[in-house]
Amino acid sequence: MARFFNSMRDGIGFDLILVGAAMVFLLALAGLPLVYNILMSFQQVDMFTLGDLFRPLAGLTNYVAVVNAPEFWLVTKNTLIFVFTSMAGQFVLGFSLALFFAQNFPGAATIRGLFLVSWVMPGLVVGAIWSWILAGDFGVLNTILKAMGIIEAPIFWKSDPNFSIWAVVIANIWLGLAFNMLLLSVGLAAIPRDLYEAAELDGANAFQRFWTITLPMMRSTIGAVLSLGLIGTLQQFDLFPALTEGGPANTSNVAGYWAWQMSFKLYDFAKGATISVMMFVLVLIASVVYVRSTRHEVRG
Amino acid sequence: MSAQIELSNIDKHYGAFHALKDVSLSIEKGSFVALVGPSGCGKSTLLRSIAGLETITSGTLKIAGQTMNGVPPRKRDVAMVFQSYALYPHMTVEENLTYSLRLHGVGKAEAKVKAAEVAATTGLSALLKRYPRELSGGQRQRVAMGRAIIRNPKAFLFDEPLSNLDAALRVHMRKEIRALHDRLGATSVYVTHDQIEAMTMADHVVVMRDGVIEQQGSPLELYDRPVSKFVAGFIGSPAMNFVPGTIGPDGMTVALEIAQSLSLPLARHQEPGRKVLVGLRPEHLVIGEPEQATLRLPVAVVESTGSMTFVTTSTEPEMTVVETRRTTVRPGDTIGVSIAPNQVHLFDPATEKAI
Amino acid sequence: MTRPYVPWFLLAIALTLAAVYLFPLYWMYVTSLKSGSEIFANPPTFWPVEPDLSIYPSVWFRRTMQTFMWNSVLIASGVTAITVLLGTGCAYVLARYRSGWIDFGLFMILMLQVLPASVMITPLFVGFNQLGLLNYPRTAVVLAAAAKAMPFFVVLVRATFMSVPRELEEAALVDGNSRIGAFFNIVLPLARNGILVCAILTFMSSFGEYIYSKSIIQNGAMQPASVGLSGFLGPNSSDWNSIMAYSAIYVTPILAVFVLLQRRIVSGLTSGALK
Ligand SMILES: Nc1ncnc2c1ncn2[C@@H]1O[C@H](COP(=O)(O)OP(=O)(O)O)[C@@H](O)[C@H]1O
Ligand SMILES: [Mg+2]
Repeated sequence: MARFFNSMRDGIGFDLILVGAAMVFLLALAGLPLVYNILMSFQQVDMFTLGDLFRPLAGLTNYVAVVNAPEFWLVTKNTLIFVFTSMAGQFVLGFSLALFFAQNFPGAATIRGLFLVSWVMPGLVVGAIWSWILAGDFGVLNTILKAMGIIEAPIFWKSDPNFSIWAVVIANIWLGLAFNMLLLSVGLAAIPRDLYEAAELDGANAFQRFWTITLPMMRSTIGAVLSLGLIGTLQQFDLFPALTEGGPANTSNVAGYWAWQMSFKLYDFAKGATISVMMFVLVLIASVVYVRSTRHEVRG
Repeated sequence: MSAQIELSNIDKHYGAFHALKDVSLSIEKGSFVALVGPSGCGKSTLLRSIAGLETITSGTLKIAGQTMNGVPPRKRDVAMVFQSYALYPHMTVEENLTYSLRLHGVGKAEAKVKAAEVAATTGLSALLKRYPRELSGGQRQRVAMGRAIIRNPKAFLFDEPLSNLDAALRVHMRKEIRALHDRLGATSVYVTHDQIEAMTMADHVVVMRDGVIEQQGSPLELYDRPVSKFVAGFIGSPAMNFVPGTIGPDGMTVALEIAQSLSLPLARHQEPGRKVLVGLRPEHLVIGEPEQATLRLPVAVVESTGSMTFVTTSTEPEMTVVETRRTTVRPGDTIGVSIAPNQVHLFDPATEKAI
Repeated sequence: MTRPYVPWFLLAIALTLAAVYLFPLYWMYVTSLKSGSEIFANPPTFWPVEPDLSIYPSVWFRRTMQTFMWNSVLIASGVTAITVLLGTGCAYVLARYRSGWIDFGLFMILMLQVLPASVMITPLFVGFNQLGLLNYPRTAVVLAAAAKAMPFFVVLVRATFMSVPRELEEAALVDGNSRIGAFFNIVLPLARNGILVCAILTFMSSFGEYIYSKSIIQNGAMQPASVGLSGFLGPNSSDWNSIMAYSAIYVTPILAVFVLLQRRIVSGLTSGALK
């Protein structure tokens, strides 16, 4: 016992307790639920068996039912559209802004920092604001687009099946853009200035410098930003209840929101768990990419 | 005299890496011991093991007669000066100095008095209220020293304390640290990769290589009687010349491959015909008339610092000769060089041990 | 000759970009000040004809925002407390050592960082139901949200600890500290700012927490402001000036803190986020 306390004061015991407490907590509230989720996806879960741990096994029927659901392919397509267009938009706009703010002018850092307010705002509030901006009849975006002559008739962003998913994408790009920009700015700042000067002396123009110096030097940053973007987009939830609730007719529904609807609107927890497991596989792939791209920094 | 720090058969593994291999070392009370060796040879590891910052894998470590294996650093009563100084940035100089006293329960007033004393010895009196970031490199170094001496510990441990200073200050601090050591009657272990520091400061020098103690002894012992080519090459500046040679038929001369016709006299009899590596210190080679000298060497480069001239030969391998007198030697000349028999070092070409 | 003008030209562009980007925020405040009929004016007015602040108290009372905001503060405080208490020590250990085990721990934490809440909520809800925790819904939400917030906190704070030189801690040990003493006297004070920034970020993000609260807390008196907002928000909402006023009340404290601490937050993020 005395040895235990000595090790806590002076030895490895101190570290074990510090790291152990957090690990136990995380295992209980993240690791276990994950395993439990997989278990549930193979069980029959209904209101009567909700309180049991051992429920009748369902084999693969939950998976079969999910894949055969009429909205399955629509949701899959929407998820892919949502993820890839959001990421592309956030990345391209974020990179352009990062390049712009890498120029040397008064207030650059402060103004760039202001962009980050989007990132600290509650997702539901962002959704609410965009819901109003994108409103069909009285939304300000339609007014602006009309004034600029881009559209003739107002677009019913949230209720037109052709546009509903784009309503969420626009809001999500706005939400994630600033964080992308910030991380890319860090990467840009880490490129030594004299590389550009050397390239300029060698006769490279601005475009060539971007292509031959900026991009190659930013490879690991870009990898990290893209995978963080993928992860962040897969995590996005709050915008859906605020904007479209997945509608109309699931035209803006994605996997995460669909899983939640299954569990908490239809009380079909087994199917909710099943969709979650399928989504988790996707996240797993993204996180392997992410961990690999940060690996050299983890090693230090 | 008794051993203040006693290391017996110490081994240290970092996972699969064997950082210290069966190291035994006895450090007398009141002595100044330098651990020297190339970067990565395990000097810091050894020092940090004494401090208790690393756990040794096997062996025994005693400080003042007490076994210290597994005893935490705070109970070892040693003080350490780090290469980066490791001054607490959120404390003033005075707080840095008195921190250990306060941890050992010394009262505020008494600690203040002590700090003033130490500040006076180290020339920090005017800086007590400053923060480390407001000090120059040399001043920070002094605070680090002061923090160590305020405690009157059983031993001082220095890990390359001068390597962040400029050359002139380094030479100055060398003397100051040694003077401080003598005045306090302390026991010091001093790690450095700079053999000049080790030679000038220490009573006892320990040369390490790849986690092994290669040789230990007084500075002049190491200089005069290196046990291996490694020590011979490491101690002394500029470094010793090594040229292959063969022992003559009489066993009392050695012929150098770079100068077949002539041979050097030896102090002791060797096995005739044996292949050897001959070590010649540049400062022991004396330039004379080509006719009287024992070696004749073609000159490639001549560099003069004013007080000394470095002559590099165009032989293969090349040799360096140091001449303290003014000389008119020019590149392309042939110089005659002689050396005293007892200054010729012989090494086995395979084991690189001294013969 | 033209050189001195270039930066001002860029500054003007930067301000324009910021104005465009932050327009949604402006629109939130402006809409909240408009009357019920003015919001449906066509074309919309970009500055309210008759700014009317009275909607703020009216929304505050009508929507029982006091309860909602209080619950948000409670939940965010709980999440932050758990995250800081457990996460700081964990980040410290992960920063201090290099080994296969540490890499493994870090990998696990990065993996947890990526789990979407929508994946976790179903098993958490069913699990909490079995444990009876649904009877203490705010506690349940705090636990769930803390597990969600902790990985990000650990990754950022770990970077802060990595910037505290290892030798300072070793000097403290040699000076006579135990591991505990060195941690609290030397390492923590030096990492304090980074930890504080991360704690504030944790607080801000859990102040806006929605999905767990929405799914777990059924009792209106215990729901946070995000759930309160969702109560009158949907594809067919029309009460826009109230919604915007509610939103403004909800986010203004966060925005104020962010603008005040902008510099610190940004530098904390940039040093940690990519590590
Ligand atoms: N914590 C560690 N983990 C693994 N290897 C280490 C560690 N610390 C030092 N080493 C290795 O041990 C050897 C000796 O290191 P060190 O004692 O610091 O050398 P130096 O003589 O330069 O002070 C080096 O090869 C180093 O790479
Ligand atoms: Mg070292």
